[in-house]
Amino acid sequence: MKAVITSIVVAIILALIFSLPALAQESGTITITMTGVNEISISLDKTQWPLGNVASNTEYETSPQIEWCTLTVEGNCNVNTFIVGEDAEWVDNPGAYKWTLSSDGTNGENVYGLQFRISGDTTRGPLVDGYVPVTKIESEFWPYSGGSGSSLAPDDTKQFGLKLLTPTYFIGGRQMQTQITISAVAA
Amino acid sequence: MVGHIKLAGLIAIFLVVFFPSLTLAQDVNFGVSPAEVRINDLPPGEATEFELTIRNKDEIAHVFTFATFQPPEEERREGRAEFPDDSWISFSSPGIELAANSQANVTVTVAIPQEQKWAGEHWETWLGVAAESSDLLAIRLYVRLLVSTNPAAEARFNAGLVAGIVVGIVLLGYGSYYYFRRKTKSE
Repeated sequence: MKAVITSIVVAIILALIFSLPALAQESGTITITMTGVNEISISLDKTQWPLGNVASNTEYETSPQIEWCTLTVEGNCNVNTFIVGEDAEWVDNPGAYKWTLSSDGTNGENVYGLQFRISGDTTRGPLVDGYVPVTKIESEFWPYSGGSGSSLAPDDTKQFGLKLLTPTYFIGGRQMQTQITISAVAA
Repeated sequence: MVGHIKLAGLIAIFLVVFFPSLTLAQDVNFGVSPAEVRINDLPPGEATEFELTIRNKDEIAHVFTFATFQPPEEERREGRAEFPDDSWISFSSPGIELAANSQANVTVTVAIPQEQKWAGEHWETWLGVAAESSDLLAIRLYVRLLVSTNPAAEARFNAGLVAGIVVGIVLLGYGSYYYFRRKTKSE
């Protein structure tokens, strides 16, 4: 009888040993770490390109060509930056007519090309001339794979320009609008 | 030949559009903090929240919108997997309007479903903050969100199960012993 009671007590103690830490974990702390007081911030000194009328199958470049806009790292953390474009839509009726943004900077019927070039970048891009297509898939702006550059530090700047290649054919007399988004994330 | 030249001229005239052309170029400048958020030991079935601060550094008011973004694998921190479901992340507001040179907070809630398969995971997703604009160039800032779920969830479940089984066996044994002892005595 005594042995049975002892074994039961031992079993209960063992059970408590297993279950108490588990119960303790139920009230475990969730830790949220905000990385310092880091602020991510970039600025662009230009956001508009007043092109006016354009002709079909024609290239337009910003002026100055590659120092048209300045991106500045305003926050206090290093950043990697990206760029993405979109189709150009008819301002008066966006769903009714658009120019599709090509995936390689070339053009076609109702298809337009956009490229960017960063100042000092002379060998980047498919034609090794520094120009890189802006596509509908977010891709590296700076730094970039295969390049020797590193993430941009606070107060760093990058100057760049844009090149537009209009469609080989489009419906005239329509005001078109598009947007290029430059994004940044902490390096 | 003259006819061909005239036709080409007509095509050039008709195939024109206007890109957005405003007289003054504006800059865009805002910041988000923190740049990176790490959530550790978040048990499946629980939720946690934190705040992002958006600072409008422009001289004009802006509407800021929020969205999650799945970064490409090469941009994620080492050892981090793709966040399984963006719907687990919610913002206290889909967008906020900020006056010039002002700031505001938005609360972000991360809720993990109560499923064993989400225990012990390490994910990364990006929280995008963008200033609404119809300009050609726009900025989006990403906050890295690194979420690690509680790895002890499985161990806790097993420990509880083991403890339950042990207690069950002990109680059953004691009940049987008590029953047979009384039965023997009564005979």
